[in-house]
Amino acid sequence: MITRMLAIAGFVVGGLLFVVVEWRARREESSIPTLGDLAGFVMQYQVGRVPVGRIAVLGFWWWVGWHFFAR
Amino acid sequence: MEQPSEATVEAERVWDRPLVMVPLFVLLSAVGGLFPSFSFLANVYVVAIGGTLMWLGLSGRVNRRPMPARLSRSAAWWLVPALTLALIELTMFIAGSTNDYPTLSLLADPILDMYLARAAVYFGWIAAFWGLVHR
Repeated sequence: MITRMLAIAGFVVGGLLFVVVEWRARREESSIPTLGDLAGFVMQYQVGRVPVGRIAVLGFWWWVGWHFFAR
Repeated sequence: MEQPSEATVEAERVWDRPLVMVPLFVLLSAVGGLFPSFSFLANVYVVAIGGTLMWLGLSGRVNRRPMPARLSRSAAWWLVPALTLALIELTMFIAGSTNDYPTLSLLADPILDMYLARAAVYFGWIAAFWGLVHR
């Protein structure tokens, strides 16, 4: 049972860390990119004419939805 | 893949605005919340919505925001939350994803069994997907 509580606490801390870094990124003069800009940067990656980064990020998000809502 | 003309993209901007998209997302989420996990309809629905958004994101039919050409070293700060979640999730997964060692999806299942919560999370998923399509 203690491991369950630790896991829940860990997930909450991980989620809060996302909020904190995004908040820091949105401050003026911040050199940290927002999560959206980071995703957008990764999505620009191409191999030849194949938009590998775009397929990977959009495909990952599609999988997240399927995993939580359908599987 | 054939790219749409400027005139086509301009015409499509009429529907690509919050006043149109937010009510649409609310409607899609309200319907999505009706289908329980592991059901055939839940699978069909999420595949259909994800497939449509994936197609929009890859076809260039939606305006995209300008993106930074490079990232500063400070971008590495994103590794802190990402690795924290990944490490815990991986540990729980290797431990068997049981009641004592729950993965994130196992913890989310009872919450997503409630209609309002499920519809709200559905809305967040679609809205974030739409944001990614614009990147």
